[in-house]
Amino acid sequence: MNPPAQPSSARRVSPGRVAQWVAIGFALFWSLAPIYWMLSTSFKTELEATRLVPTLWPEAPTVANYVGLAGTSLPFVAFFVNTVVSCLVTAVVCVVVATPAAYALSRARFRLAGTVGYSILAFRMLPMVVVLAPLYLLLLNARLLDSVTGLVVGFTTFGLPFAVWMMKSFIDAVPIEIEEAARVDGYPRWQILLKVVVPLVLPGILTTATFVFMEAWNNLIYPLTFITTMDRQTLPAALVLTFTGQFKTDWGGMMAAAVITTLPLMIAFFAVQRSMVRGLTSGAVAGA
Amino acid sequence: MAAQAPTATQARARPRAGREPWFDWMVVPTLVVMAVVVGYPIVYTMVLSVEDYNLLDFSPANYIGTDNYARLFADPIFWQSLWNTAVYTFGSVGIAALIGLALALLTENLGGARFRAVRALLLTPWAVPFVVVAFLFRYMYMQNGGVINALLLSSGLADAPVPWLNSAALALPAVMAANIWAMAPFFFLLLSAALSAIPNEVIESARVDRAGTWGMVWHIKLPFLRNPLLISSLLMVISNFNDFAKIWAMTQGGPGYSTSTLVVYVYRLAFENFEFGYASAIGVIWLMMLMVFAWFYMRALRMERR
Repeated sequence: MNPPAQPSSARRVSPGRVAQWVAIGFALFWSLAPIYWMLSTSFKTELEATRLVPTLWPEAPTVANYVGLAGTSLPFVAFFVNTVVSCLVTAVVCVVVATPAAYALSRARFRLAGTVGYSILAFRMLPMVVVLAPLYLLLLNARLLDSVTGLVVGFTTFGLPFAVWMMKSFIDAVPIEIEEAARVDGYPRWQILLKVVVPLVLPGILTTATFVFMEAWNNLIYPLTFITTMDRQTLPAALVLTFTGQFKTDWGGMMAAAVITTLPLMIAFFAVQRSMVRGLTSGAVAGA
Repeated sequence: MAAQAPTATQARARPRAGREPWFDWMVVPTLVVMAVVVGYPIVYTMVLSVEDYNLLDFSPANYIGTDNYARLFADPIFWQSLWNTAVYTFGSVGIAALIGLALALLTENLGGARFRAVRALLLTPWAVPFVVVAFLFRYMYMQNGGVINALLLSSGLADAPVPWLNSAALALPAVMAANIWAMAPFFFLLLSAALSAIPNEVIESARVDRAGTWGMVWHIKLPFLRNPLLISSLLMVISNFNDFAKIWAMTQGGPGYSTSTLVVYVYRLAFENFEFGYASAIGVIWLMMLMVFAWFYMRALRMERR
């Protein structure tokens, strides 16, 4: 973990150290400048946002763009609620369904474990577009088009296989000895899973759920195809659909909407960042 | 607990393979859901791919054999979309992986709170939703008033505004740059974790052998990063094959078909022309190509692990 044999070089400034910090500074600029630009633009007036020579800092900072979002004819609050609800439900459904499967695959006490594991992994690699048309027809026949349920079904196609594999890597890290005491006491397996394993992998469950949530939040193609009523649309799809009309020239308003779309994802991301790092890497470093 | 450890270890001895059950009911919920939301659609895609199904056509779909596939091989837009998909995916993933690797090596010896702060900041682009990445870059790429062109003009690097997204030659690289910006943090995160997992003794003994900085990176660290790099790039290749949000929100596949990938093309066929049959045929071909790719990849990975 600690850098080996680094004498406290904080006070001695070597040329290598300077070059390193210059490079890090450049990397930070590259990563953060676009985000700064989004924030700064969202506080500019419509005119200032499209000026030929852009201003670095808003000349007359205004929250009009944010207030405007609530005031437009577009149901932004509904978009927001739709997105949060469909992504949250997807995350919960995926984790609940995936955890027992991940546990079974991790302990692998059945002969078809390999086959089942690889077919779930194969589903994960499936190009989403392959199932797009049939999924549309399926939802059409089930009368689930244009509903949050339909969206959840769509998001589950990629969320569930991912959740199984990620949860498996978390459960793999739980030593089997911990379960033995409960097993000796004669508890059934589902109780061992619920009372012993689940509490231990809670950070992993949270991380997996966040990941599924983020992927669902990023998804554009399912809401764009499955949702036909504007009120039921998600934020990302609404941004695309309204861009040509509402925000044709209003980049300030557009960036305010973009900030609103980004905030929940960023909060979720930084809330679980620590355990996410652990979760992702335990799988990837160990060789998945 | 500690006193029981020996017996517990004995009890752990797995029942022999012959006595294991074939199946475990705990995987049933997942398999049922997968069968409905993925299995059934895949079978349905294959059926659709040999029919002339059009959603707007009220007459029942007819079996047309391999006509859709014949059409596909003669379709120049299909080939261009396939090429664009390959360039977009492998180009973005390759460059993002290099940037991620460079960042991981660059920040490796920071240590402690300083490292965590830098890492959090460098990870930020990853938490930006794809659609927002698309619109943000679209705004920055604007020909008149876009900040990138403004910077290029004022610094004298360009004489006239560059039409980033309106030129057939520049649109794909421009979209890729936005994609790389959003994806590089993922590689940075995984690779810096993999770097910290290298056993200290390995680094120490290399130091004793007076390995230089580059020798250390090349001979000691890179071999340790090989598998994490392979796995994370496989994950990203899959997600880039599927990437619709960034391309659609930036260019809708244009100008012309210069940024049209297979996802964009299939989406257009299915939901602008409602040609579900033809769109499904492309899906099936694509599925086969991805399977072949994944097979070779898994082999490479398994050989590496031995």
